[in-house]
Amino acid sequence: MKKYWKSIAILVVILLSLGTYYVNAAMSAEHYPEFVIRTLSGDANEIRPLVLDSSYAADTSTRSYTYTSLKINADGSTYNNSSFLDQLIGQPPTLIKSLRKEYPTFMRGKDPFADYFFENKEYLAYADVKYGTLSSRNYKFDIAVLNKKDEKTNSFKVEVPNEKGLENVSVEDVQMVDGVLYLITHNMMRDQEDLHDEKHIYIIDQGNQKISNHEAIIQVPEQQDNLRTDLQFIRTSPTKANDHLFILKTEKKMIEDTESTREEVVGQEVISYNIAMKETEKINVPDLKLDENQLSFADESTIYFMTLDGEELVVTPYSLMDDQVGQAYRIQLSGEDGMAYAYMTTVKAGKLYIVSAQMTPKIGADVIVADAHSGKTLFKGQIALKDASKEKGNFELYMNEMFVD
Amino acid sequence: MKNYLKLVNFEFNRVAKLFVVLLGITLVIQMVGVIVLSKEYLNMANEKIYEDMMTKIEFLENFGKMNFSQIVRSIWFFGPIGLCAAGVGFYIFLIWYRDWVGKNTFIYRLLMLPTTRLNIFYAKITNILILTFGLVAFQLIIMPIEMLVMKGMVPTEFRSDMGLNKIIAVMPELSIIIPRSLIELILYYGAGVLAVAILFTAILMERSFKWKGILVGLLYSAIAVVFMILPLLLQEFVFNGFFYPIELLGIEIVMGVMVLTASVWLSRFLLMKKITV
Repeated sequence: MKKYWKSIAILVVILLSLGTYYVNAAMSAEHYPEFVIRTLSGDANEIRPLVLDSSYAADTSTRSYTYTSLKINADGSTYNNSSFLDQLIGQPPTLIKSLRKEYPTFMRGKDPFADYFFENKEYLAYADVKYGTLSSRNYKFDIAVLNKKDEKTNSFKVEVPNEKGLENVSVEDVQMVDGVLYLITHNMMRDQEDLHDEKHIYIIDQGNQKISNHEAIIQVPEQQDNLRTDLQFIRTSPTKANDHLFILKTEKKMIEDTESTREEVVGQEVISYNIAMKETEKINVPDLKLDENQLSFADESTIYFMTLDGEELVVTPYSLMDDQVGQAYRIQLSGEDGMAYAYMTTVKAGKLYIVSAQMTPKIGADVIVADAHSGKTLFKGQIALKDASKEKGNFELYMNEMFVD
Repeated sequence: MKNYLKLVNFEFNRVAKLFVVLLGITLVIQMVGVIVLSKEYLNMANEKIYEDMMTKIEFLENFGKMNFSQIVRSIWFFGPIGLCAAGVGFYIFLIWYRDWVGKNTFIYRLLMLPTTRLNIFYAKITNILILTFGLVAFQLIIMPIEMLVMKGMVPTEFRSDMGLNKIIAVMPELSIIIPRSLIELILYYGAGVLAVAILFTAILMERSFKWKGILVGLLYSAIAVVFMILPLLLQEFVFNGFFYPIELLGIEIVMGVMVLTASVWLSRFLLMKKITV
């Protein structure tokens, strides 16, 4: 035995040391506080379909933050396990996760961005842009359409027509109207020295696997002197069918002060585009003033223009059926110094969901559900620590995305 | 089995001195580092507070509290770890070549032992693993001691204490050596064992065919590496992300086991038939 003592000693040391470390690591697994949505008023059933994809960071005095993602819903919070295997699997948004669960084969090799997907009862469609080499700039749409009935997938690549100095293409929306697939993209064009931004629509002929038609919806110069024009889609539910697209065109003027430059909105208009008819129409909304953090949302036949006025969210419904501006209503949000905190909003099935984007021990986070047409508050609540007395110290909670089932 | 264990013990005794030297260097340099850095911080605090008339609060606001992770980030801490890593890397080669040099070629006696020659291969690879784990285990033992030393030197209001887990979590470099979960430990060190097995095979090729063997060994290593990264390349350029990450991990593990088997089999063949003394 005597001649083995060194080996035995080192093995014992290794086993004890590593063993203690990993048992300790498992026992003292990082403790995360539990969050709940506390009802202040209204019907708690309204938040049943709501899932908030959030991330939590405990404040460490070293100023290094590590974020852990969690989901908050009516039942409380669930932390995504931060184990190695879970990290490897990744934490795609709730929508992608549920699609992967339902269509594991179709979802292979698809980028996890909700904008690239379209889903209705019969089809699940996906489109993305694949780049060639940097030098040859060879853009191809990578398209796949799953027919849910016969479970057949039609997937193909089709070259993006490049007529005049196409600099960049990115897919912003995938739509299907009456069985026809449309890709809506943001293109950057170079005309000699000038750059142009445009929203472009491609009509895909699925049978022949090619682009049957395409056109620019709207084109604006990137920058002209001090004028800058932004094109922005008014958000819709990512996978929902829409026969209209709504684009908010904002013209901004750069004003140079002595020390800094600031931007001022000089003109704003909303453009509606009928996908099937290929018609562009200007929507006239009097007194439209949407600032930077506009949260507008289009749902079915109504656009909800939202803007923050102090601590209030002003919602102006605009009915597309009769081109009428509805009665604007205001929803009180919490804020500081007369300014509301950052919020995210969604409209689904006639209900407006408003959720704060951030929570700290000092800043409360609101969860509000209101009737989208009348503004009547159906639910008002706050995200709160389940056991506030136990949790001390600083933390930050960010609501990154909300998902309404 | 008994013969294998005897060989492992025998090999470990041969390297024990070098091993203890590495442990000693690590302990001394890291401990000196803890003392020097704590002292530096305290001197700075004294200077600011007593000479520049800063209040304690101002000082803490400007310079922050002392934290063990600052020590971990310093060369005092990482230097010895790097030295140990280099030492083990060097010994991967030395563990074979030391048997061929010297007055009486030791490998002759090893090969003559009444046991399968593959046991020599297994014993040597086990020893590399013992050395590595031994160094890691030692680091895990001395870190709490170093923390205690820092706690003894820096007053409570000037330091923010962190647990061992937390420090390892915020130092990505450390969590390669000390993975945060058992699964990672097995995967990382499994990959390490695979790399050592490939190197051993290459070394045995050199020992069997001399100059030509170096070429063959390099070629074998290159093939093994290509084989291992092939699934990743295919995933990226041919299959366009067809596999989910967890499946890719499974494929990689299967590839690793295949390369490991090939290495062991080749080594066995070389040790039995081709090795020259």
